Amino acid sequence: MAQIFPSWTNKLPLILLVVVVGIGVSKVGFFSYFGSPEFTDVGYRPDQPVDYSHKLHAGDLGIDCRYCHVSVETSAVSNVPPTRTCMNCHTLVNTDSDKLAKVRESWQTGKPIEWVRVHKVGEYAYFNHSIHIDRGVGCISCHGNVAEMEKVTQAEPLSMGWCLDCHRNPGPNLRPVDEVTNMYWEKPDNQAEFAAKIIKEKNISPPVNCAGCHR
Amino acid sequence: MKKENKVQEKKYFRSLEELEGSKEYKEKAGREFPEGASEMNNDWSRRNFMGIMGASIALAGLAGCRRPKEKIVPYVIPPEDVIPGIAQQYATTMPFGTSSYGIVVESHEGRPTKIEGNKLHPSTLGSSNAMIQASMLGLYDPDRSQKVLQKGKEKTFDDFTAFWVEKFASYKDTKGEGLAVLSESFASPTLARLKKNFEKTFPKATWATYEPVSDENIYLGLKFAAGKDLQPVYDYSQADVILSLDSDFSLTESEDITANAGFAAGRTIEDEQSKMNRLYVVETAFSGTGGVADHRLVIKQHEIVRFVNALAKKLGVKGSQETPNVDLPASCNAWLDPLVQDLIASKGKSLVVAGRRMPHGVHALVYAINNELENLNKSVKYVELRDVEVSSVDSLKALADRMNSGLFSTVLMLNANPVYNAPSDFRFKSALKKVENSIHVGLYNDETAKACSWHIPTTHYLENWSDARSVDGTASVVQPLIAPLFNGKSAVEVLSLVVSGEFVDGHTIVKETWKDLVSGGFDSSWRKVLHDGVITSSSSKTITPDYKSEYIYEVVGYLDQGNKDGIEVVFASSPSVFDGRFANNGWMQELPGAVTRIAWDNVAQVSKKTADGLGLKSEDMIDININGAVIQMPLWVVPGTADDTVILELGYGRKGIGRIADKAGFDVYHARTSSAMSYASGATIVGTGRTFELANVQDHWSMENRPIVREANKEDYEHHPEFAKHAVHHPPLESMWTEFKYDKGNQWGMAIDLTTCTGCSACTIACQSENNIPVIGKQEVRNGREMHWIRIDRYFSGDVDDSASVEMVHQPIACQHCEMAPCEQVCPVAATVHSDDGLNSMVYNRCIGTRYCANNCPYKVRRFNFFNFTKETPEIVKMAMNPDVTVRARGVMEKCTYCVQRISKARIEAKKEDRLIVDGDVVVACQQACPANAIAFGDINDPESNVTKVKDRNRAYDLLAELNIRPRTSFLAKIRNINPNMPTTKIKPVDSKH
Repeated sequence: MAQIFPSWTNKLPLILLVVVVGIGVSKVGFFSYFGSPEFTDVGYRPDQPVDYSHKLHAGDLGIDCRYCHVSVETSAVSNVPPTRTCMNCHTLVNTDSDKLAKVRESWQTGKPIEWVRVHKVGEYAYFNHSIHIDRGVGCISCHGNVAEMEKVTQAEPLSMGWCLDCHRNPGPNLRPVDEVTNMYWEKPDNQAEFAAKIIKEKNISPPVNCAGCHR
Repeated sequence: MKKENKVQEKKYFRSLEELEGSKEYKEKAGREFPEGASEMNNDWSRRNFMGIMGASIALAGLAGCRRPKEKIVPYVIPPEDVIPGIAQQYATTMPFGTSSYGIVVESHEGRPTKIEGNKLHPSTLGSSNAMIQASMLGLYDPDRSQKVLQKGKEKTFDDFTAFWVEKFASYKDTKGEGLAVLSESFASPTLARLKKNFEKTFPKATWATYEPVSDENIYLGLKFAAGKDLQPVYDYSQADVILSLDSDFSLTESEDITANAGFAAGRTIEDEQSKMNRLYVVETAFSGTGGVADHRLVIKQHEIVRFVNALAKKLGVKGSQETPNVDLPASCNAWLDPLVQDLIASKGKSLVVAGRRMPHGVHALVYAINNELENLNKSVKYVELRDVEVSSVDSLKALADRMNSGLFSTVLMLNANPVYNAPSDFRFKSALKKVENSIHVGLYNDETAKACSWHIPTTHYLENWSDARSVDGTASVVQPLIAPLFNGKSAVEVLSLVVSGEFVDGHTIVKETWKDLVSGGFDSSWRKVLHDGVITSSSSKTITPDYKSEYIYEVVGYLDQGNKDGIEVVFASSPSVFDGRFANNGWMQELPGAVTRIAWDNVAQVSKKTADGLGLKSEDMIDININGAVIQMPLWVVPGTADDTVILELGYGRKGIGRIADKAGFDVYHARTSSAMSYASGATIVGTGRTFELANVQDHWSMENRPIVREANKEDYEHHPEFAKHAVHHPPLESMWTEFKYDKGNQWGMAIDLTTCTGCSACTIACQSENNIPVIGKQEVRNGREMHWIRIDRYFSGDVDDSASVEMVHQPIACQHCEMAPCEQVCPVAATVHSDDGLNSMVYNRCIGTRYCANNCPYKVRRFNFFNFTKETPEIVKMAMNPDVTVRARGVMEKCTYCVQRISKARIEAKKEDRLIVDGDVVVACQQACPANAIAFGDINDPESNVTKVKDRNRAYDLLAELNIRPRTSFLAKIRNINPNMPTTKIKPVDSKH
């Protein structure tokens, strides 16, 4: 009696296995790359109501971050400056620039400017700016080199894994506290040594348990 | 008298069903949630729902991938001192009748979210009670009145001002003829000043003051005793022996916070050698205070009056021999001798207090007794009444009578709601019809507002300027935390408009008063007052009244009352809604009663014997006929209630107030008359044959007969100091795996003292406020879905058929943060895990809602969001939420976190200051609120911390330690200080073989 199935069907289970595993692997690969914050969030650069240039102010003019973001050292929240902070200078400088029309309008009407949020961690994660500044984590570590951004762009994924990388090994991101806002500070050659010293001195032990950030 | 050494274990039960061990009970207790709890309660079945959800997901598809644009809206000109992300604290005062509570309110960017006590204020001492905590929610109540109304039509406040300016001129000419004010009672320098101005401007006008639940009898009794108005100020910590005569001083009476604190101070014992106070309670039904009593006598209300009279005679109070001898129940006679002995032995170190329900004659007598026992200026002092307006039923009666005679053309009601809560024989509603201009100023468009020609919405106390005096006379300021949300005008502003004919803002009026109150330069002193909230050295003069024996006869009129046949009805204020003022407050409505454990309703409480005699059982709908007036409400059997007595809580059964109040309970006021404000005799009860479903939580989260509560008499404790630890014996506990050593850094732990806990529930509401816990409604509570992170378990023990033998214990239970947590071991997605500082954390985002953890939790402390409770919360109520705590969504488990947000804050602040966290840096919400200081929290790795020391006490025990789960919360066993000479039917609580 002739065989019902031709001989190539002997390989069918193997083929099926390869196909199934292949689809599985590529699916996981697809989502872990395209679904990850590295792909979805890094590079996020929304249009802002006012064409404010960090490159000009923080870079070329060299204004310290904390001139506008005053609460960064004391509060969990680093504030976006009130209109008055803009007008401190712009009542004298570039008083009739078109770019500043919305700022002047806000100043006159008392209606705040509605900025679009760029950096955001999940609402169930309670990030605190002040403690990171106090420990000597530079602005650049999370926000990228803002001094060279015309338009603020998300530079890091701000995902939990990324946070934990640093919480588990804070050394590479530590610097002297008076250099935290300096976008051009260069790591010393003995960064590891420096970090070890500062970790010991300040007893730096970032929480790595859930309750450290989630409440 | 040698006591029989009965060695028998006390049996604790939460409900009669549990005691009987009925089949229904066993079935209920065996389930984590009642049958069908995971089904939605609307028309959609789960399958139906899944189908629709599937379709929506398919439709929503890729649109969900877009990142939502979020706006950041900064200030234009930032207010001074506001730093985004840092909460501010403001001192203010919550006025409450003739009391006031100094508080400190947390405000996030101008949005008040949490109330704590003000340490500088003599009536709060840094802690608070449930009502203070819940008043935060009242601020954001969307059902508050928002419009000025004239005969139901919307007007503006300017219209009212114009109306009044015209009237003002004519009333000024007639010196106020035909003008009357009905006010709530107050203790406020500004309101008192305005009242004086009112009387000056309108000498012929009438002023009445009325509160449905007030201390009028106490003031009246003291006035008889001393010939002048006096305010009693108690210091319970000075008393070794306390006798409470129907006084629930730890919960529903005035000044419950200081009473709790003082009582606890005299009861907090280090070890078996420490001295502790002894509490005798004579009452009709269980109160929170009755639960902590060492000896409790259960008699009817009118018998308490006779008891006090007999006590005075026994004590040899001068003049008391001439009052008539009245028969007492046998139980009282057996009590008197040993009680008198104990009181005399503690002369100068004792305290007798009587509750506000007792007639004024009793209060005069109690004054005489305290005088006889040399307690004056020790455990009780009397101070002059300053700036206080005391409620007077007679003044309301005079007002109503004259209104009925058509003598008034204008009546102004300031925060009063007489149509709802005035004695029914005054017929206030029909009296109002005879008044041309009836003006109601109040928070709600309530029963009275609807019957008035004008209604003005008033401000919540967190929205206005005012001031207050505490009972000892300390002046404090009420400052606004937020501008009026609904354009209300404060009582101060309205009264000032009435008096002067022009509108002045509250700030100016209050400052005007305070010019005379502060010393030194006004501006700097005023700033200090705003900072501190109080003037610390402004207490009133202490007065030692001369003792006269004549006033003892005041009691005589009450001695033969209550002899009628039938059932005695007791009108009690509710520990949840008080007199009805918290009726639309979801937190208070959902707070189970301290004794009944019923939420969302009031019930007719009777003893088992009475119910059996009537052939009725719990949840039967009954008609209570009180001399012609009929109340229909459900019956509830409460062990430990006097027989032939029914207790009715006031303040429920509101109509047309708001979405919370309208569904809850039954009105009792309509059957309360001026001749029987506290209790009425001769009532009858008939069953209607119908039943009514109640939301009772007493059988929820049962721990089923394990030795949960441990208690001992002081004497036994002295012989067996380690009794609590020996209540359970188990083989050596060994773990199946290598254990994590929690020995580095801060290790958080808690200890709760059951001896001082009175079950007042301040912790429950404080936790609800701090941790954004939703209100879920009556039906969901019935379904066993209540969300409170810290619940108070209430246990009875004794013979339910013999009310005198029944004892009550309260035990607060929250997550115990077990080191070897059973919940963590069964979570399939690691959504509940341990942190290295010993916290059992709940990771909401990982939770997929299997509820395995709740099933495996031996303490039953995990709460599941069956629905998206918070989503349905009105927007404005969301303003009360704490931004430091995640708002949980549907389908996730939640539970006590040991206030991890406060721990994180303390850790960050300590790090910024380059130091370690020290004891006292972390104060958790329940601990901060607890007026009895019964909760200790801190680092158990620090041998010097308070919590370590408390946990080291020999009566500390861990719940279910035999399971080797190592809870971080310990309990201190309850100790009762039994007088060996008292007659007792009590069963010894511990097995004293050890």
